[in-house]
Amino acid sequence: MAANQTLTFQSSDGVDITVDRDVAERSLLIKNMLEDLGDAQEAIPIPNVNEAVLKKVIEWCSYHKNDPPSTGDDDDSRRKTTDIDEWDQKFMQVDQEMLFEIILAANYLDIKGLLDVGCKTVANMIKGKSPEEIRKTFNIQNDFTPEEEDQIRRENEWAEDR
Amino acid sequence: MSLSLHHLPEEILYHILSYCPPTTCAALNGTASYFHGVSNDPRLWRLYCQRSFQHWDPRHDLPLKLAGPVAAVAWKDLYVARHRVDRTTRHLLDGILAEQTGRMKKFRALVELGCDVKDTLLRNCAPESRQDDVLARTYYARALLNALHRNMAVPQWARLRRGEPVSLEQALGAFDLFLPESTFGGLEEISDRLNEIAGQIARADPEINHRTSRDKAKAVLAYLRGNGLTGMDGRREYLSIDHNFLGLALQDPGHNSLPLISAVLYCAVARRLGLDARPCGIPFHVYVTVVPAEGYDMDDNVLEAGAVGAALYLDPFRSPRETPVADLHSQLALLGASPAQQRIFLSGSRTAEIVLRCSQSISDSVNLQVQLPGVHLSAPVDLNSARYAALWASMLLLPASRSRERRDQLPWFLELFATEFPCDLYLVERHLAPLFVGTIEHEQILRCLHVIRAVDEIPRLVKRRTAEHSHIQYRVGEVFRHRRYGYTGIITGWDTECDAGERWMRRMGVDRLADGRHQSFYHVLVEDKSVRYVAEENITRIQPHEADLPPTLIAIAGKHFKRWDDDRCVFISNITDEYPDD
Repeated sequence: MAANQTLTFQSSDGVDITVDRDVAERSLLIKNMLEDLGDAQEAIPIPNVNEAVLKKVIEWCSYHKNDPPSTGDDDDSRRKTTDIDEWDQKFMQVDQEMLFEIILAANYLDIKGLLDVGCKTVANMIKGKSPEEIRKTFNIQNDFTPEEEDQIRRENEWAEDR
Repeated sequence: MSLSLHHLPEEILYHILSYCPPTTCAALNGTASYFHGVSNDPRLWRLYCQRSFQHWDPRHDLPLKLAGPVAAVAWKDLYVARHRVDRTTRHLLDGILAEQTGRMKKFRALVELGCDVKDTLLRNCAPESRQDDVLARTYYARALLNALHRNMAVPQWARLRRGEPVSLEQALGAFDLFLPESTFGGLEEISDRLNEIAGQIARADPEINHRTSRDKAKAVLAYLRGNGLTGMDGRREYLSIDHNFLGLALQDPGHNSLPLISAVLYCAVARRLGLDARPCGIPFHVYVTVVPAEGYDMDDNVLEAGAVGAALYLDPFRSPRETPVADLHSQLALLGASPAQQRIFLSGSRTAEIVLRCSQSISDSVNLQVQLPGVHLSAPVDLNSARYAALWASMLLLPASRSRERRDQLPWFLELFATEFPCDLYLVERHLAPLFVGTIEHEQILRCLHVIRAVDEIPRLVKRRTAEHSHIQYRVGEVFRHRRYGYTGIITGWDTECDAGERWMRRMGVDRLADGRHQSFYHVLVEDKSVRYVAEENITRIQPHEADLPPTLIAIAGKHFKRWDDDRCVFISNITDEYPDD
């Protein structure tokens, strides 16, 4: 059994972190790599993810290590609910910077469950907000010319009709 | 610079937006140019279309659009159009609920939006039970849904009348569309179910397309009978109303149906497998005839030039075997049919004939059901709706040679239409009135339409409770039991004295009442769905709890009331435009 085996990750800022193999394999990127390479003897560099984020990601993977694997059921039309379970909600109570870092890391490492939770968290932050409120929440610069803005407002008028 | 939303790649933004409602996507669309592209992604709007709306009007050709390349369709425009229909529908429904006048035009506007309004109506059929106007909302949303279905059904028969092609299952399925209880959402659901059955036969016998026509016809028969899809459980009442409907027969686990429906079901499935199968109605029974392809016989032998292959006869209702044609000839001969008439009978029936026959059979069943209310139904069928369907079918499809029958049925039709289905005003105007142009009945129809329109458009006379009305004991919304007849009803209006006209008063013996005609009279809605006019002395007010109210009364209460108030034991009025003080 590979269950007790451990691996070492090296974060982008050069810190080595030891992880149980079954935890690490929540990442499809790592899982596929291990399948291709056999056992990794040396630390695996994770170039895009710094120590703080990597630790967070590993924390999520440890908690969810016994989740049933994703069935590959990617049917978009079923993707409806933005319900997030309690542990994940707490886990996602981080600042925006960290939230986006986690999402990018989950995307890079191909951890579908974590990416879903991250995206749902952001979706819940946007839901029901006006363009102005969204700009404020995420510090987005409005780069439309007044004419463009006018036209876009007309295009989207339907969404405000009750 | 710290990380924010616009640093996420488009694929992740797409992922996030797939969790957002479309209105949120539109809001993000307006924040900055970076988000403009991803929030207009047609894949996203296709997703929103699929997720937000279950029912699509056939004119959208949605299955075709979904099967094609995503970029070939302006999905966002389509979504926005549906969003607008949803809003229009909500506004029209709210308007209908808000006042009693001018409802007809709103009904029409709504029905003309087609199947696209179904999602909104269905949502309103099951509104949150705490909603202020739950009963009225449910009632009118249901009524509109039924009207919408009738607006899909009647044109099928109108097309048949004009000689345009209408498939058997559409022509017969149209009857199902009249039934409010039917969970079939439309004719295409009946077709889907038939396709499914044909598919199962083809899968069970992969060689089916290589078999002779005769073997194929028998294989279909064996499958349908083997799976209990045709025929009837012998213990059931033959003429039970639910046996007359193709959709009900397909849907009901017992699949009990009359010979006519069994034959139609057989033909619809057999045609899907390439057979030329036609219902073949003779007096007292409906068979099926399967006709070989031109130039062949049923065993697929090539015939000599000019020869016609003999057809095959089946009785899907009661027999697993071929019916010898000689048997049919002798049956017909016994009934006095000449050889020429026999040939006509045995060549198969036209779809219009089958629809008419079904209409007749439904009328017979309704009459039986009225006489024997105890008959067990496998599915509940509203008798008024069934009768209305039968009348529509015969109005539209009786041939010129039987126009006398049509005239005889017209008064029944108009009465039922005016009392139960007045929201079909435009349907009657468009499809029924033209049939009578140039006859004396035409005037009668126009008068009926005029009255319905006038009642709808003229604002109600406001009846306030002033001092002179102080003797009127009961109020709109109160529930009572009739002192003599014992039925339960709701008061929907009052008059200071009997206002029903001399003839009615004489017929009903009003002057024999203890307090005669000069006592308060009440308009009431009764648990058997009837509307009556009752003298005050016959009213005993009761104060039941919601659970003790007859369910049928709750179902129709929405016509005039918003909801039940369990504390005060009254229905809350939705007709305050007429009775502001009740």
